[in-house]
Amino acid sequence: MERSRFQRILRGATPRVVAIGLLLGIWQLLVVIGVQSVGDEPLPGPGDALSEIGYLTHIGVLLPALLQTLERAAIGYVLALVLGSLIGLAVVRVPVLRAGVGSLLAGLQSLPSVLWVPFGVLFLGDFAVYFVVIMGAFPSIAMGLMSSYDNIPPITFSLARSMGARGPRYYRHFIFSAALPGYVAGMKQAWAFSWRSLMAAELIIGSTASTGLGQILDNGRALGDLPEMLAALLTILVVGIAVNDLIFAPLERGLFRRRGLTPA
Amino acid sequence: MNIALAPRPAVLSVEPDEAFVTLRGVTKVFGTGRRAVTALQDVSLEIANGEFLCILGASGCGKSTLLSLIAGLDRVTEGTIDIADGRPAVMFQEPALLPWLTVRRNVELPMRVRKVGTDERNRTVNRLLAMVGLIDFADSRPHQLSGGMRQRCALARSLAQESELLLMDEPFAALDALTRDQLHDDLNRIWQETGRTIIFVTHNVREAVRLGDRVVLMTPRPGRVAQIWDVDIPRPRELDSFEVSGLAHEITGRLRAGAVGNGTE
Repeated sequence: MERSRFQRILRGATPRVVAIGLLLGIWQLLVVIGVQSVGDEPLPGPGDALSEIGYLTHIGVLLPALLQTLERAAIGYVLALVLGSLIGLAVVRVPVLRAGVGSLLAGLQSLPSVLWVPFGVLFLGDFAVYFVVIMGAFPSIAMGLMSSYDNIPPITFSLARSMGARGPRYYRHFIFSAALPGYVAGMKQAWAFSWRSLMAAELIIGSTASTGLGQILDNGRALGDLPEMLAALLTILVVGIAVNDLIFAPLERGLFRRRGLTPA
Repeated sequence: MNIALAPRPAVLSVEPDEAFVTLRGVTKVFGTGRRAVTALQDVSLEIANGEFLCILGASGCGKSTLLSLIAGLDRVTEGTIDIADGRPAVMFQEPALLPWLTVRRNVELPMRVRKVGTDERNRTVNRLLAMVGLIDFADSRPHQLSGGMRQRCALARSLAQESELLLMDEPFAALDALTRDQLHDDLNRIWQETGRTIIFVTHNVREAVRLGDRVVLMTPRPGRVAQIWDVDIPRPRELDSFEVSGLAHEITGRLRAGAVGNGTE
C-alpha cells in the first residue's frame, strides 16, 4: 500500500522532473555560450538564481513578498469568482442578455489585462491590483458557467421536469451538478489569467503598494541585479505550477473520473 | 406510505378497469402558418387502470409526441388529456442517468426531489434495486454499467417516483436482442408485482405483442390511431412463441397494407 502510493507519486513526478531538468539544461547552455545583458553583464546560471532565492529568503524578503502576492491573488481570485458566477448566472437565466453579454465577455477575455492598470491606478489607487486581477479572471468564470450550462444534455431538463423538480431542488440536483465540470474548467483557466494579471499589475504599479513578487522582479531590474530578477521569475513560475498541480488539476481529475470522462 | 412496491394500494382513487388515462380528440401541431406540421390528429384513447398499453408505429407517426403530451412535457394544441392520479413517471429511450451520481443516488433522486425522509428512501431504494437486480451495483457509477443495467437503473428510478402511471418511450430500442428479451421478462414481472398502469411506445411489433394488454397501431403524417388489438395471449409470453408470432404477423401485415406508410418491425 505504502509502496504503491510511493510509486504512484514517483510516476507522476518523473515527467515533471524531466521537464524541469530540460529547462535548466537549456538555461545552463545559454550561460555556457556566454549570453550577456545589454549592459554586458553575463547571464547568471540556475545555480546563481537558486542561491539568490536562498539569500532573499534568509534576509526575510522573499517569504513576506510571496505571502503578500498570494494574498492578493487569493482575494482578487475570489472576487472574480463571485462576480463571474453572478454574471454567468444572470446570462444563463435571462436569455435576452445572452447574445450581447456573451460576445462582450469573449472580447474582455482577449483583452490583455495590463490595459486595466492605468485605469485602476487612476480610479482606485491601492485597490488597482485587485481590479486588474478581477478584470483578467472574471470573464473565464462567467464563460465557463455559460458554456457548461449550454452543454447540459436536453434530456436532463426533460428528466427534471418529469420528476416535477422546481426551484432550489431543480438547481441543486440537476443544473449545478451537471454544469460543474465546465465551471471547474473555467475556474482553472481563470486562475491562470488572474496570476498573470497580478504579475503584470505588480510589475507596473511597482513600489506604491507593499512588496510582492512582481515588485522584487522590478526592483532587480532597477538595480541591475540579474540574480534577483531570475530568483523572482523562478518563484513566480513555481507558484503558478504548484497552484495548478496541487489544487485545480486534482479537483478536475476527481470530478471527471467519477463521471467516467477523460479530462480534456 | 409506500406505493412503490405494495402489490396494489388497498384504496384506489379509481376502480379497476375504470379509465386511468383518457385522451379526447388530442391534436398537436408544431409551428404555425405554412410551415405548420400536424404531428397528431384527433387521437382518442382510454387506458384502464393497471393496463399495459403498447403504442406501435413507424418513425414519425407521433407516438413519442403523444407520450410527451401525456407526460406533461409538452402541451396539446386541441383536445384534452385526463389522468386520474398525479404526475406520471417517464422512462426515456436513453437511460438519462445522472453521471455524477451512483446507482443508488440515481434511483433515489425522485424521492429526494419530493423530500422523502431518509429511512423510507433507503428502504424503498433497496427493494427497488433488488427488484431490478442491481443491488450489488448500488455504489457503481452509470459509466461502469452495461447498457441493459443502465436501463434497469432507469426503470428502478421511474418506479421510485411512486406514480401509478409509467410512460415508456422505446426504452429498450438501443439494447441487443438478448438483453432486451431479459428486460421484457423483468418488466412483465415488475408490472404484475406493482400493478402499475404502463403506456409503452415502440416501433417493434413483437415487443408490443409480447408486453401489451392492447396494441394501438398508429399511422404517420398526421399521427392517428389506425387499429387496436386486444392481446389475449397468456403471460408470461415468449418472443418467438406461436401466438406472439401469429399476432405480430397479422399486425405487420396491416402495417404493410398501406395507409400506414413504411412499417418497420
